[in-house]
Amino acid sequence: MAYIGVNATADFVTLKLNNSADFSSNIAAAFVAGESANTYDVPSMQEITVNATPGIFRWKQLDSLSEQAITTSSTNNIELTVVLDDTTFYSNTGSSYGILDSVNNKTKTAFRLYWAGESSGDRYIEGEGYLSALAPTVSPDSPVWTSPLTIEIVGDFTTGQEA
Amino acid sequence: MSLRTDLLANVTTALSGSSVSVSSELPWSSGGTELYRKNKKKFYLSETDQDITQLQSTLDTNDVFQTENSLQGFITVDAKNQPADIQTVVSAVLNSRLSVSDYFVRECEASSETEGDEITYTFEYRFVNLI
Repeated sequence: MAYIGVNATADFVTLKLNNSADFSSNIAAAFVAGESANTYDVPSMQEITVNATPGIFRWKQLDSLSEQAITTSSTNNIELTVVLDDTTFYSNTGSSYGILDSVNNKTKTAFRLYWAGESSGDRYIEGEGYLSALAPTVSPDSPVWTSPLTIEIVGDFTTGQEA
Repeated sequence: MSLRTDLLANVTTALSGSSVSVSSELPWSSGGTELYRKNKKKFYLSETDQDITQLQSTLDTNDVFQTENSLQGFITVDAKNQPADIQTVVSAVLNSRLSVSDYFVRECEASSETEGDEITYTFEYRFVNLI
């Protein structure tokens, strides 16, 4: 048994995005070496939550003291909060839109989330979805722009391990 | 220019024509007596104390830090016979914080303490900016 710590530099959580093309048929192709010019890491994440929640259909039977249940389709998304970085927020990376334009243009985006580091053998999940819930905020007491961001995922998470 | 230099210049401007003058010396002690108690009706400003604290923490150590700068100002006057414009002087010293730019927190708190026939006004300045 081992905890998944993310406090050491080699174990940082990394979220990579690429929306330079439609990678629906092969998500992993968005993160091969040849796509590095179109891929960017979301920097300065403050928290991140992976939601993989199956729907539940419940019913009652006259011959049972407890409810029955069966799972239905999952709602998958990734919620995070970031300190906005002017490069990844405003600017494109190669042919990929930055965060603001990805939301504005409703561009389907391939993502890969490394749980703890991205060295050989480190685990990740990947998929595609739409960036949403962008709500940048700033205040006199905290004069740095921060924003929540959600990746509303289309389909399943795919798990993998860095080669 | 340093924060202390800026603030001192602003206080000097704010107190020109008043009964209180401004010293550029630090409020050090001489023979166990602070300069501001020895030289009454003279404003003294301490050196800047700095404290770096975390404003926003991140998962990849791209943290956002802020610097909290604090300074203390002192004026001592005769408690029995205060200058007629002492309240104007106190207000002017308090308001001089607003002439310092590029800090998103600009606060100043004034307090007074009477000892013997002296009253000492202490001004606690606090300026915060991003690194």
